[in-house]
Amino acid sequence: MVEVRSITMLGHKDHGKSTLIGSILMLTNSVTNVRINEAKKYSKKLHRDFEPAFILDSFHEEREGGLTIDITRAEILYNKVAFSLIDVPGHEELIKNMISGASYANTALLLVSAKKDEGIRGQTKRHLFIAKMMGIDYLVVAVNKMDTVEYSKKAFDSIMDELTEFIMKIGFDKRNVSFVPISAYKGDNILKKSRDMPWYRGKPLLEAIYENSGKNASKDDSALRIVLQGVLNGRKNMVAGRIVRGHIKVGEKGTCIIPLDINVTVKSIEAGGRRVRSAHVGDSVALELNRNVNKDPRGAILCGEAYCPIARKSIRARVFVIGKLDGKLSIRFNGIEVGCNSIKINSQIDTTTGETIGSKNIKVLNAVDAEIVLESKIPAESFTETRELGRFTLYSGKEFSGIGIIG
Amino acid sequence: MIKQNIKQLEERSIYILREANMKFKNVAALWSMGKDSTTMLALARKAFLGKIPFPVIHIDNGIDFPETYTFREQLAKKWKLNLIVANSEIKPDSIGSACCGRNKPDTLKKVMKENGFDALIVSIRRDEHGIRSKERYMSPRDEKFRWNYKDQPAELWDDYASKLDEGGHVRVHPLLDWSEIDIWSYIKQEKIPVNPLYFSRNGFRYRSLGCLHCTVPVKSNAKSVDDIVKELETTKIEERSGRSMDKEAEYTMQRLRSLGYM
Repeated sequence: MVEVRSITMLGHKDHGKSTLIGSILMLTNSVTNVRINEAKKYSKKLHRDFEPAFILDSFHEEREGGLTIDITRAEILYNKVAFSLIDVPGHEELIKNMISGASYANTALLLVSAKKDEGIRGQTKRHLFIAKMMGIDYLVVAVNKMDTVEYSKKAFDSIMDELTEFIMKIGFDKRNVSFVPISAYKGDNILKKSRDMPWYRGKPLLEAIYENSGKNASKDDSALRIVLQGVLNGRKNMVAGRIVRGHIKVGEKGTCIIPLDINVTVKSIEAGGRRVRSAHVGDSVALELNRNVNKDPRGAILCGEAYCPIARKSIRARVFVIGKLDGKLSIRFNGIEVGCNSIKINSQIDTTTGETIGSKNIKVLNAVDAEIVLESKIPAESFTETRELGRFTLYSGKEFSGIGIIG
Repeated sequence: MIKQNIKQLEERSIYILREANMKFKNVAALWSMGKDSTTMLALARKAFLGKIPFPVIHIDNGIDFPETYTFREQLAKKWKLNLIVANSEIKPDSIGSACCGRNKPDTLKKVMKENGFDALIVSIRRDEHGIRSKERYMSPRDEKFRWNYKDQPAELWDDYASKLDEGGHVRVHPLLDWSEIDIWSYIKQEKIPVNPLYFSRNGFRYRSLGCLHCTVPVKSNAKSVDDIVKELETTKIEERSGRSMDKEAEYTMQRLRSLGYM
């Protein structure tokens, strides 16, 4: 059994995300010959040179159209760690799929093509902006297609310099970012250092990913937060939920459920189908309480009385805008849907530059800082305090219109 | 094959199973008596304190292996399953995708409609097939069972798809993250009963089970769960290499899935 680290790909379309994952799979012997041969067969059928991307892109629309439509994952083993590489589409109109993929990662691998006329694009920066906003703090930038610019140090340096400025501006810590010049297609600097780039003194890509991932601290010793899913098996003194922070012991005093405002004591805990004395971060638990819960606890938080979230109707949030912000707005928050009474937009940020711009004309794919008043109270905290209680998705009617991070 | 952290997988699957049961009014699960859907049932027993709260459906075309039927009866009794056997027609001329693509989904459509199920738990895994790897944990299907794979709903931060259309349903995939070796490691750890066809007889075993017409065994000397886990650590052979429909025309799996195949 090994540690699994999820890494999301980022980057503009055609800068080589799927090709890179295909190459990594082959270089690390992580894919069967059947899959490789199948990808070869279809490359040939479409009169193309072998496309490693076809190992990932399985829909015929993806292969024939030469784009990734939806997310997929590929697992590789490196230094006894399993890396789950999440491939995402680079196209603007498929950004909801990209966000879905990125939400599972805490480290990102950004692809920027060094090829003439490609380089840093608006979408390159937008992906970085979204990733940082969603809480991804660790980043490896692969400057790709180095073979098309004669492995030029100058081309690499100019991309690194321009991107470093933007990365710092949107809040990454420089120590958590590394740059690697590669060719996904030729396999340069992926597993081993390339002979064609003797000027590059850093680590090959997989080593850079290994060193720059999996550093998130354990949350087991912090204040308890259990997101409740509901009552289990119709028993009102039995609730199910997931521990997102801290740990809980049988009989622990001073626990309460917010926003139901009731005090409870946990009489027994079941996790993984077994009776246990204590349960920890990541566990899906069934908790037998000392009393009945008469209101539906779905979306409520079980936590310690001494340090708990405050249920509130009014939240300040940064919203990445995907659809319209009018009509009947609602947020989805830990399994519940809550209507919005009002949304007041204070400012707008161009996500391709990081600059604050006027808030009159709100554009899709930009971010806004807003004050939202909800129809009922939710147990919210700031994203920096508890990630799971500081984020939501936003809907206009049934239409997905954005993601929000509570400040 | 990479062995993941089974405890993490188990916790996530239990979470998804409970989420499905609390989110939807009328949930059912598909059970083929294979290793994956049987593992899913073992997880559901854990999620709901020993008793599975939803019916399990076997789409029975009458040509499953005799061992499979025996296994069905034994486990249904032992685990007190609310088993729905839905008889599916088998036409002599239809094999492979024509059979799996039409007859079985037609029967499933009927069962879903008769019982008013709005969510269906299906034990597919991402590592089985490139097309299955594109799935969400919860995925809406319309009344004709179509999968709108070009415009799947956003799925993040445990915000899963709700039922969208009248007559449609949501497919729930609690085992999406598991690999084949994870399943077998879990079967070993939890001592989950499995169909005897998975074990080697005369140098062959079934690695993926379909019905009599479309499944062939693969070369193997693995006679126990331990042997299977060891075999999978080094194998280079695809899991579904013994399933004929995977090898038919291009994009068969994509077409089948978009039409409602499980």
